[in-house]
Amino acid sequence: MKAVCWMGKSKVETLSVPDPTLLNPHDAIIKVTKTAICGSDLHLYDGFIPTMESGDILGHEFMGIVEEVGKDVTNLKRGDRVVVPFTIACGNCAFCKKQVWAACDNTNANAHLMEAAYGYSGSGLFGYSHMMGGYAGGQAQYVRVPFANVGPLRIESDLPDEKVLFLSDIFPTGYMAAENAQIQPGDTVAVWGCGPVGQFAIASAFMLGAARVIAIDRLPERLEMARSIGAITVDYSEQDVDVLTALKDLTAGTGPDSCIDAVGLEAHSAELQGVYDAVKTTLMMETDRPIVLRQAIQAVRKGGTLSVPGVYGGLLDKVPFGAAFGKGITMKMGQTNMHKYMKPLLERIEQGQIDPSYIISHRITLEQAPEMYKIWRDKKDNVTKIVIDPWASAFNQEQLPTEPEDRSA
Amino acid sequence: MSVPLTEKPNAENTPKSSSAGVIINGHYAPPPQDKDGKIWIRTSALIQGSPQELYDIWRNVEFIPSWQEEIISVIATGEKTSHWAMKSGDKTIEWDSEVLADEPGKRIAWRSIGGESENAGEVIFEPAPSGRGTIATVLQEFRMGKLASAWETFVGRNPKQAVIENLRHFKAFAETGEIPRAQGSSHGDRGVIGGMKESVYGEKIPTPPGPNQPVS
Ligand SMILES: NC(=O)c1ccc[n+]([C@@H]2O[C@H](COP(=O)([O-])OP(=O)(O)OC[C@H]3O[C@@H](n4cnc5c(N)ncnc54)[C@H](O)[C@@H]3O)[C@@H](O)[C@H]2O)c1
Ligand SMILES: [Zn+2]
Ligand SMILES: [Zn+2]
Repeated sequence: MKAVCWMGKSKVETLSVPDPTLLNPHDAIIKVTKTAICGSDLHLYDGFIPTMESGDILGHEFMGIVEEVGKDVTNLKRGDRVVVPFTIACGNCAFCKKQVWAACDNTNANAHLMEAAYGYSGSGLFGYSHMMGGYAGGQAQYVRVPFANVGPLRIESDLPDEKVLFLSDIFPTGYMAAENAQIQPGDTVAVWGCGPVGQFAIASAFMLGAARVIAIDRLPERLEMARSIGAITVDYSEQDVDVLTALKDLTAGTGPDSCIDAVGLEAHSAELQGVYDAVKTTLMMETDRPIVLRQAIQAVRKGGTLSVPGVYGGLLDKVPFGAAFGKGITMKMGQTNMHKYMKPLLERIEQGQIDPSYIISHRITLEQAPEMYKIWRDKKDNVTKIVIDPWASAFNQEQLPTEPEDRSA
Repeated sequence: MSVPLTEKPNAENTPKSSSAGVIINGHYAPPPQDKDGKIWIRTSALIQGSPQELYDIWRNVEFIPSWQEEIISVIATGEKTSHWAMKSGDKTIEWDSEVLADEPGKRIAWRSIGGESENAGEVIFEPAPSGRGTIATVLQEFRMGKLASAWETFVGRNPKQAVIENLRHFKAFAETGEIPRAQGSSHGDRGVIGGMKESVYGEKIPTPPGPNQPVS
């Protein structure tokens, strides 16, 4: 089959690799019909996440048709159409039973690596380094899905792929970010980052009762998209704009009730602070660039909540913990507990409350993935979200639909 | 004399001491330290399952190759004795083992009785506070000999880590009926560095087969 492989920092290739096989009794093999490139993939592309090996198949946002199931899979059968969550969970450990699915004890095949780094290991993830399990990802024509009784969500309706694909990660991630923000009806919420996660965090904040959402980014097309769903936007790169001042101005000097960092460890900054972090990460004295985290801690109101869906990987420098303590804020974060949100969010899509496909800007083939990784990283070409059809061929790529496709076609 | 605290709605009877020496006289005690050529490891896991169910899986010695790393066979040679073979790389070592204490649903203790390994250990199963599952604690000692060095020829696992991994595999098997497996996943060419990383990360040690047929 064809698959998108990580071949080193800033090096992604579409290669011919062996098809996946059933390895355990609860495995399923899925024929991938749609997959996407995520902001999290950039942390791999840019070499921020350790324990990648050349040849690793990327991709953790995917859906498809069940091709084959292992002998203990009882919930799925060949031909079922499913969306697969990017975190793998067993369903039986103490954490799964408490619905903290991303903390599953039993799915990381290399738990010792994450245990060494973080004290305890979280769940395994698809296509996201060896310390997160070493599982092959879904930017491929087929993918092996372990613990298939627990994760895959069956799509019974005829909703097109593009409307449900983002249940695999970013819609639940944005939603959990808003839930973690502990929004009370009437609250003002500030969201840093208007990428896919930021978009769904903004949408979800409204769904959960926010009166106002303030969205911060520098890319015009993303700010425009945020305004299209009702946010007030702030361009942090505009001359004379200071984000903290802007947030005070927009909240009567009080600060947002909740702040959401939907940017994570690769935050961009043109200021001195950004140079400081760039130097420190190059010298390996710091692993992440917590520019947004610092700002959000500073900006949130007294007793407010900071929710962090943006990924951080290691050691952070100059985090204003005194401000966090001094204001008595609450912080919530982590990989998304996918399995808790997929079904209720599918219902919201079915009811027409939201059509997640509004963020898609590019539809591509597997062969185009390597060049698109670069465009995605550099935020060129007005890119907002890239969806891959692993079965579209390079020959008729011009014929790829630019509008959401009709599944019956 | 007055009691300083009377309101403890969910507190359980505090154990004065616990098995494997974790609590002694109401006070935490660290694991035994390596000394005189003996190394020790103590590790524990919270497992969803009753002490009796877990005891039953562990006590089935001939099933042990399904969940312990690099153990290729265990043959029961008597009521309390068994013969073990372990293969690490291309080296195989064998030894005999006997059960010293056998308390169904509670505890199993063992020691080697000749062969190419000197080891002894025990596993204890006890209910976790508030009915949250079973705590399985393993305390194991090795005398550094052929066994330990066979293990250590592999980068990424020393005998202590192997005990930790084996308890992890045991828990996964008991809770889910399988052992998570990434070995055998599809991938592109690893190249030289990718291959080196695999050994450093301990990914070349075969994941025990769990319910699958062992690949020979
Ligand atoms: N918690 C989870 O389970 C989970 C799941 C998916 C993604 N994520 C993480 O969420 C984050 C966002 O993902 P995405 O797909 O939206 O990525 P993305 O790269 O498309 O979006 C990031 C956005 O942040 C903006 N940005 C950069 N620096 C900024 C700054 N200083 N202030 C304000 N905005 C800034 C960028 O312009 C960009 O629009 C990533 O860190 C990703 O890894 C987490
Ligand atoms: Zn993602
Ligand atoms: Zn679990």
